[in-house]
Amino acid sequence: MKKLALGLIFALPIALLGWACSLVLFAPPEPPFDWMSRMSVADHNALVALLDHQYLVAAYAVTWAIQLGYLAWLGLRWQGQKRAAASPARQ
Amino acid sequence: MKKLLLSLYAAITVALLSWGFYQAIYVAPADDRLGGQGELYRIIFYHVPSAMVAFLFFAISLAGSIGYLRFRRTRDAWAQIADAWALAGAEVGVVFCTVVLITGPLWGRRAWGIWWTWDARLTTTLVLWLIYVSYLLLRRFAAGPQVQTLAAVLGIFGALDVPIVYMSNRWWRMQHPAPVFGGDADSGFKDPRMLHAFGWNILAWLAWGLLILVVRYYVERRSQKAAAQDMQDALNA
Repeated sequence: MKKLALGLIFALPIALLGWACSLVLFAPPEPPFDWMSRMSVADHNALVALLDHQYLVAAYAVTWAIQLGYLAWLGLRWQGQKRAAASPARQ
Repeated sequence: MKKLLLSLYAAITVALLSWGFYQAIYVAPADDRLGGQGELYRIIFYHVPSAMVAFLFFAISLAGSIGYLRFRRTRDAWAQIADAWALAGAEVGVVFCTVVLITGPLWGRRAWGIWWTWDARLTTTLVLWLIYVSYLLLRRFAAGPQVQTLAAVLGIFGALDVPIVYMSNRWWRMQHPAPVFGGDADSGFKDPRMLHAFGWNILAWLAWGLLILVVRYYVERRSQKAAAQDMQDALNA
């Protein structure tokens, strides 16, 4: 159970980081400079809204990936110290 | 009792972060003015509070560094406490500064069409981050009795960059947007709901930052105590 929880604590930031990267890497191409001759205003606005949404979600996801990743690393250090203090060599 | 208080504080922090997220995404309206940023501007609710918290923690690191240098020869116990705060402040500050340096370019890619530009605000923030990363590398890899002193000196010089970063987009008007508070007529929030969401997110990220700062401080204190105990054991052997 403890191992599963530990795995989840590390998996979540990695998953969030992967999600953020995929949102940016696989975002649709930006509308071309001369978009007015290629697409309607409604299509353009929909594309811009989708791109903005993807970058916004990526920014929030990467923020949480960094913060939770750091918290997981701190938790691991804390546990390591507790284990070291309880080891027979220390006592 | 200590554990209970920490758990209660953590629960309040999680509630604040959830409320801040709700305010940022569902309550604050989109920036639908002509030439506005639509949904994209919501990145500011994570970007700016992270920068504020990073600055605050670098200030804590500065205070800790000064305290270490002041007490290292007279009161060792105080000096070690100050050093632990200096390290905790620098490390958590770097975490928040990293968030700033990643969310900023994500916004810039959509708003400006580029990931990065050598604008004064961006460059000084990158320099600040590099100084504190070098501080952490020094603490991690250098050995010997002078490491804490050298790190304290570097921590003080690093903190000198904070006011430069803060003032950079007032001194040099380049590409980075004007400050949210105290900027020109076009800067700042046009809707009070945006300001509320911003305020809640500042509070939430500050609470989160303080939580991990305190945890990091205790981790460092424990490792200092373990190192002192090891040294005592070696002397006794």
